[in-house]
Amino acid sequence: MKRTLQDYSSGIKPVWCPGCGDYGVLRGLQQAMMELEIVPEDAITISGIGCSGRFSHYMNTYNLHGTHGRAVPTALGAKAARPDLNVVCVGGDGDGLGIGGGHIAHAARKNVDMTYILIDNRIYGLTKGQTSPTTPLERKTKTAPYGSYEEPLNAIPMFLTYGVSFIARTSPVMMGQMTEILKQAISHKGFSLVYVMSPCVTFPVVTYKSLKDILSPLPEDYDPTNRMKALELAYSEETLYTGVFYNVDKPTLEDNLQNLVRKACTRKKGEHFTVEQMLQSYA
Amino acid sequence: MGVKDFKSEVDFTVRIGGEGGDGVISCGELFAQAVARTDYHVFTYISYPAEIRGGFSMIQIRTRDWTIYSMGSQVNYLVVFNQEAYDRTIGDIKKGGTVVYDPDTVEIKPNADVNFYPVQLTKIASEVTGGKLGKNVVALGALGQLFNLDQRFLEKLMQDRYGAKGDDVVAMNIKALQAGYEAGAANQWEKKFSLDTKSDTKHKYMMLSGNEAVALGTIAAGCRFVAGYPITPATPIFETLTKIMPMVGGRAIQLEDEIASISACIGASFAGEKAITPTSGPGLQLMGEQLNLAAMSELPMVIVDVQRGGPSTGLPTKTEQSDLKFAIYGTSGEVPRCIIAPTTVEDCFYQTIRAFNIAEALQMPVTILTDQSIGYRKATVRIPSFEGIHEIAEGLDIKRVTIPSANRIDIINRQEPTEEELKDYHRFRYTDSGVSPLSRPGTPNGQYLATGLEHTEKGVANYTPEVHLNMTKKRFKKLETLSKALEANPPEYYGSRDSNIGVIGWGSTEGAIREARYMAEAAGINVRHLHPKVISPLPEKQIRRFLAGLKQVIIVEENFTGQFAHFIKAKFGIRPIEVHKCEGEPISPQEIYASIVKVARIVDEENITRL
Repeated sequence: MKRTLQDYSSGIKPVWCPGCGDYGVLRGLQQAMMELEIVPEDAITISGIGCSGRFSHYMNTYNLHGTHGRAVPTALGAKAARPDLNVVCVGGDGDGLGIGGGHIAHAARKNVDMTYILIDNRIYGLTKGQTSPTTPLERKTKTAPYGSYEEPLNAIPMFLTYGVSFIARTSPVMMGQMTEILKQAISHKGFSLVYVMSPCVTFPVVTYKSLKDILSPLPEDYDPTNRMKALELAYSEETLYTGVFYNVDKPTLEDNLQNLVRKACTRKKGEHFTVEQMLQSYA
Repeated sequence: MGVKDFKSEVDFTVRIGGEGGDGVISCGELFAQAVARTDYHVFTYISYPAEIRGGFSMIQIRTRDWTIYSMGSQVNYLVVFNQEAYDRTIGDIKKGGTVVYDPDTVEIKPNADVNFYPVQLTKIASEVTGGKLGKNVVALGALGQLFNLDQRFLEKLMQDRYGAKGDDVVAMNIKALQAGYEAGAANQWEKKFSLDTKSDTKHKYMMLSGNEAVALGTIAAGCRFVAGYPITPATPIFETLTKIMPMVGGRAIQLEDEIASISACIGASFAGEKAITPTSGPGLQLMGEQLNLAAMSELPMVIVDVQRGGPSTGLPTKTEQSDLKFAIYGTSGEVPRCIIAPTTVEDCFYQTIRAFNIAEALQMPVTILTDQSIGYRKATVRIPSFEGIHEIAEGLDIKRVTIPSANRIDIINRQEPTEEELKDYHRFRYTDSGVSPLSRPGTPNGQYLATGLEHTEKGVANYTPEVHLNMTKKRFKKLETLSKALEANPPEYYGSRDSNIGVIGWGSTEGAIREARYMAEAAGINVRHLHPKVISPLPEKQIRRFLAGLKQVIIVEENFTGQFAHFIKAKFGIRPIEVHKCEGEPISPQEIYASIVKVARIVDEENITRL
């Protein structure tokens, strides 16, 4: 069955400002899922709080719009419980680097097979212009009226250190590359993190123009299995490289949990114990 | 009710005391397990030293031919390994009781009221094992001989317990056991109780702690997903589940904190699976925001709070009933909450199944409130009849669902939309019961949005006055539906109708209140005892019937401020006498009985004044 973009859309009109980068990411995700022929009812989209939190409202998958910062462990639970489903999680720089930042290290350690799209516009847009963990130093915001006094977080080196098994940076200013990366990320077996630099038109810390000036694809001969090289290029600030920084295969959480079942059931040659047998074992 | 419940043919308590590391606890646990296999009821109490090794350590085992509600206060049989154990416990022995002691390590003071029997535990053990180990198994053998436990039967238990450590270990233990039997026989002691052994290999009773009972109830309820973070005193639930979940094909994951744990449960429940997370007070507090999301998006799940002494880090290894208000009211905004408080170890097993049923039937998080004292207590739990298990996958009528018991367990599975409903699926459709069918990912045309934002029947975000009011009504309607279903259950009160005094309690104090009632009845004071297991919502009509005609109501709980009393006063407008204990220890039957006696005097005086 050939599906169209419509088949991946809930039909609800987004609340985002006209020109918001989120439109591009939404379209890119729907396009990627369509091209991968993912069945909408076999997919789950989970989002947190912020402008990006509305993502789950606009997909025609099973959607969960959760709380601030907790989208990643929520999505992890969904995938661990139902490995047969495709799980995509969406959050912003507040959700993923501020309130919920602590969860990413552990999703990476578990290597749960899901895709996390982290959309960074370096500002809190939904609540109308407060400092985010990536707001540049000296930048004036509603909560930094004299200019931001703390260093912005450079997250990709952090994710590399966590051991995230697939890390890419892209942007809706390069739709072709973004869709292609999203497809790779969804197809990746393990925790894939797509870091999207996205413009905010209302609180323009990041604009289309600034992104076009600073973004540049990774060198052609770049080897995405070389973590030290990835770290070096991820630290570059004059040029923000785009593309797949890191991509390695590791056992996933689902594989490991399946292995535990096998280990626990060796005495029964892989067959599960019945509840009755379990209760009798405590008699 | 009554007399049969109180009097018992077989009812005795054995205490084993010694130095931590002597194997005192394992000796007692093996004895208790052996007794449980003979189909008598067992109830244990353990006191560990603070140190890993060394210090006084004891285990007490009460055996009865009828349900045991509390530890009781006196000891019939005492086994002491060292002088300290003797000195500290000899005062608790009942007149006519029996002391088994090691004459090489314990010096006794003969006393005509007590029978003393020497058994050279250390010497016999070293002859058999060539070392210091094994004296606990020698003591077990002596106890087995004393109570006429078939030796082969205890040998089987050794095999079950030590089989994994290798044949040599089993053989050594069986030798020590044999030596203990021989030493016991040499005593020619007076035998008061004989525990007949059934040769049946299928056992009727499990020997569980309250925490283990919750874990096993979880798998019996059909839950195959647990996410958790260790916290005392709830950790044993999680540890047990991490072991047994994979054995039944389920998944157990440890997360980075309690917030992540409940988040994972929300994800799993949304994905269509039953899910549980065990925790204790501070963890429940961290889960607050996610509990709200689960309630708002109407997702079933079970949270267990094994309450400990609070507040803050408080008394992590002690008991208290002080998370009730947080469990019922601790939310931003208003959502319905269902709270279940099991009363015994056995109840932990069956009420856990019930918690899953209510969660699935009403699509809401259900919180089980146990506490440290019930979580760490060990007792016999009847294994349910597996013919009595019925799964309800569709056409649920909640009023007809029975409370899980050994004879019958209804298991409610997710109530999914029909094909007709899926043609125009409204996930949050307004219904008479407040419950609307919940689709499982993978189902075509069942896609919807679960959101913490206020939403329409379709799940679309909407902040209009009428939608917020109607959706709030819908969510609270579910509580009303549950409350009505609870009214259909047998009343949860005991004691004579002809009582002026009522005692209300919740959770693990049930046994102590019950025994206090028996004591009062023996002293000629009639008392009616109410102990609801579902704390929120309450079966209001039943409670009004309980209150009718009472002159005084005593509310007993283990906290400082009287949390349940506040709840009852607000709902029923009564002015109870509140009995609180906030010392980190369980309240005893004697303490409750003393309050009943005082209140009885007040009631008498009122009667005299009226006359």
